[in-house]
Amino acid sequence: MAAGAASVASFNGLFSIPALAEETKRRGKKCILLWLCGAPSQFDTWDPKPGTATGGPFGAIATNLPGIQISSLMPRCATLMDKLAVIRSMSTKPNEHFQGIDALTRGDQPRPPFTRPILGSVVAQQLGQLDSPVPQFVLLDPCPEGNEFKAFKAGNWAGWLGAEYGPVRAGGDYGIPNIQQLDTISDGDHADREALRKFFSKKYENDYRSTAAASHNAAFDRVQGLMSCAPLFDLDSLPEADRERYGRGAFAQHALQARHLIENGSTFVMVANGMPWDNHVYQHEMHQMLVPELDNVMFQLVNDLDQRGMLDDTLVIAMGEFGRTPWLNDARGRDHYPTAWSLAMAGAGIRGGVVHGATDALGVEVIEGKVDNRNLFATIFQTLGIDPHEEYELPGLPTFHRVEDAAEPIREVLA
Amino acid sequence: MRLCSFILVLLGCVPRGIAGDPTTQINSQLSAAWQERKVQPAERCDDRTFVRRVYLDLAGRIPTREESRTFLADPRDDRRQTLVERLLGSEDHAQHFADLFDVILMGRADEGTYQRRARHGWRAFLETAFRENRPWDEVARQILIARPSDKEHDGAVWFLYEREDNYQAIAEAVAPAFFGIRIECAQCHDHMMADEIEQAHYWGLVAFFNRGKNEDTPNGPRVAESAVGGFSEFANLEGSSTPNFLTFLDAGTVAEERPAKEVKRSDEDRLYVSAEVPGDPREPIFSRRQKFVTQVLDGHPLLARAMVNRVWAILMARGIVHPHDEIDSMHPPSHPDLLDWLSDDFAASGFDVRRLVRSIVLSDAYQLSARRPTQATPPDSFAWYLERPLTAEQLARSIQLVLRGSFQNDASVVEDLRQQILEVLPDTVEVPIGDALFFSNHANLDAFIRASDGDDQLIAGVLACETADERAERLIETAFGRSPTESETSAITAYLDQRSERPEEAVAQIVWSLITSAEFRFNH
Repeated sequence: MAAGAASVASFNGLFSIPALAEETKRRGKKCILLWLCGAPSQFDTWDPKPGTATGGPFGAIATNLPGIQISSLMPRCATLMDKLAVIRSMSTKPNEHFQGIDALTRGDQPRPPFTRPILGSVVAQQLGQLDSPVPQFVLLDPCPEGNEFKAFKAGNWAGWLGAEYGPVRAGGDYGIPNIQQLDTISDGDHADREALRKFFSKKYENDYRSTAAASHNAAFDRVQGLMSCAPLFDLDSLPEADRERYGRGAFAQHALQARHLIENGSTFVMVANGMPWDNHVYQHEMHQMLVPELDNVMFQLVNDLDQRGMLDDTLVIAMGEFGRTPWLNDARGRDHYPTAWSLAMAGAGIRGGVVHGATDALGVEVIEGKVDNRNLFATIFQTLGIDPHEEYELPGLPTFHRVEDAAEPIREVLA
Repeated sequence: MRLCSFILVLLGCVPRGIAGDPTTQINSQLSAAWQERKVQPAERCDDRTFVRRVYLDLAGRIPTREESRTFLADPRDDRRQTLVERLLGSEDHAQHFADLFDVILMGRADEGTYQRRARHGWRAFLETAFRENRPWDEVARQILIARPSDKEHDGAVWFLYEREDNYQAIAEAVAPAFFGIRIECAQCHDHMMADEIEQAHYWGLVAFFNRGKNEDTPNGPRVAESAVGGFSEFANLEGSSTPNFLTFLDAGTVAEERPAKEVKRSDEDRLYVSAEVPGDPREPIFSRRQKFVTQVLDGHPLLARAMVNRVWAILMARGIVHPHDEIDSMHPPSHPDLLDWLSDDFAASGFDVRRLVRSIVLSDAYQLSARRPTQATPPDSFAWYLERPLTAEQLARSIQLVLRGSFQNDASVVEDLRQQILEVLPDTVEVPIGDALFFSNHANLDAFIRASDGDDQLIAGVLACETADERAERLIETAFGRSPTESETSAITAYLDQRSERPEEAVAQIVWSLITSAEFRFNH
């Protein structure tokens, strides 16, 4: 612990130059995406159907919004609803994880051979400070596995924006390996050697117009900056009381770390935890473990940001890639269901205390305020101050818009 | 052939019986597709590029300066063919392909597991398969039956043995390894996108292997097989249950007496025969593994097709079906007739892997420049040589060659790199920052560079050069196999001048910057 505290102090020393400190704390908008991969059940979170045959065992509780109930597994969020916007009318197309993750993290379905950048890459590029040593887009994921998410993680995240906008990947108790400089080399030589490497390496990148080399060089470009802020990734350096309050699970600890990164200059932090929500089997038992953690994390995170005066600038989104079936399968699981599902957001100009849209009595269809991934992304961009419909202008790229078809943001949840 | 039905229906007619040389086929079919798609291919690569490329792809390492010079000085028109032939017969080739197929068939593992794979003959089994160019169908049979006939084939048990009684893991490994398909998502339901992959196939494939049991015998590890048990039912998402019949893909169902649900059949001696090899576990008279090999695997068109597509992906950086191990109706091939032709030819040639490898590397497409003609040229046109990252082993051998002029396959740098760089056939290239941190700060790599201080090694050799130009020439030629540009010579000279009081360290840092640059990191 002592070593951790000392290294935080030395890290803070990085910002002792007033101008840099000011620049780092510049109030740009930021975003934390709690990525509930595998897809949680809307019935056991934001859209309960108490008293129905297929609504599940958990029932619903009242919230601090009159007339609005959420799952009884979320008592803390029930006291927070005035700060949240819940969307109960998501209706999307992809029915399999890989395609769902693609559409809900990039905003649209693929148009090969062009790869649309992932949300974090767009936000980092639009709002981030790329000359900052602090990584602008961080993916915290302690779990290298995760079925289709594993495959997705191995893919191209930054798409046509280029590798420099891809995430720095971290997570887990093990921190980031090889982040400390060796004693055998001086600071000066470490930097000069890298400059020489870059010189050799850029020649190849340019000669061959190589995107792989660009990705390679972008990774090295980040080394020095990342080394300088190594303590930011040290979970042990975070106050014990905070760690206790968020909970000891990896997802909770990383949500806390996300807050810490956002406080210290990151622009977009995506918190994932493998693909735990895909409960085709024993979904009640699984959700009984997963939802209370989410409930607490959301509550602590939104409150912390609020108390620190950061909620006005920081968007928090909690969602997966689709919802779960209104009916149970033979293994008491719920299967994939993109037709009608829910998510929640808060902060950065999202209007609190709003529940947008509705599903029918059993949650089979959206009956009010139907929206899809494009509407969602238009909303996210709009509230972050990024033009949702801007045309991407890159050489060799056909016409693409940040959000296609001029899809409207969800006005009801925008302040 | 009884088994072609679904593939043939999916892909249209197969041009059977066309005689000819596979390289000619590749050339004519790819160029016809370029014309049809109005794609302008890249130009043919020069000899310097070719020699580095083909050493990496076939021998798993860069050429030494001497090997490179020998090739470049060869005046014969067929020098590329000659080199390819020599490399295919080299021990390095057997080692490189054993490296690749170890990862493809078994996955990366911790160093303890690597040692066990070596100790129990798996590594040797793979090396022998490629050294002797054993027919791929025979290799597949030996792996899946897992009853070695002699000591030399001991390692054949390891594919099953390492996965112990995790029968689902076995099924999920068998499907991509020998059929080129992924079945994981058929565990809970019929494949949503590729509907020829049914849930019954998933559980059927599991059932073919679920009577296996690891046994440590005086002959070494063996996978015994029970004559009873392994009956269960699986539930689909609608809730109805189905028995796990012995069935896979289009191969029909293997008939098997199925006891009534409540009856537990006793495990009697009369259900077995003793093994041919004394000391090996007895064998069931009705062996599910045996049935799988004789009734599903033998003659299955995907056995040839999966290997052709995989070897193509190894040498061309993406499969004709991409991803290379998802040969299903959701992933149509970019060149269907070519894949058909090569698969037929591969089967007809007796599953001759070396013939397949040779025919691809001698094709025009393999010998194109790595410069992408235009940003819009699609990668599945194979209109340029798609660059690919060196695998951990290729990189580790090449780093040793640069620094020391020789290499060992069990050097510590091999172990460190294979724990860091896991993929051998990545679908896309996105370099993780963890790799850059590894190269920048890993203590063992740093120590390895520092310890390369022998008189006959690169650092000393550079310092012994008389002029700055010679030093730059030596460094760039050793690492990149080409001459330095003027600006590279100046940069190297300036770097050395600034550190003239500690020259060894300065050269070591320059070598670091070369072996961590993109030109070294990728095959191109």
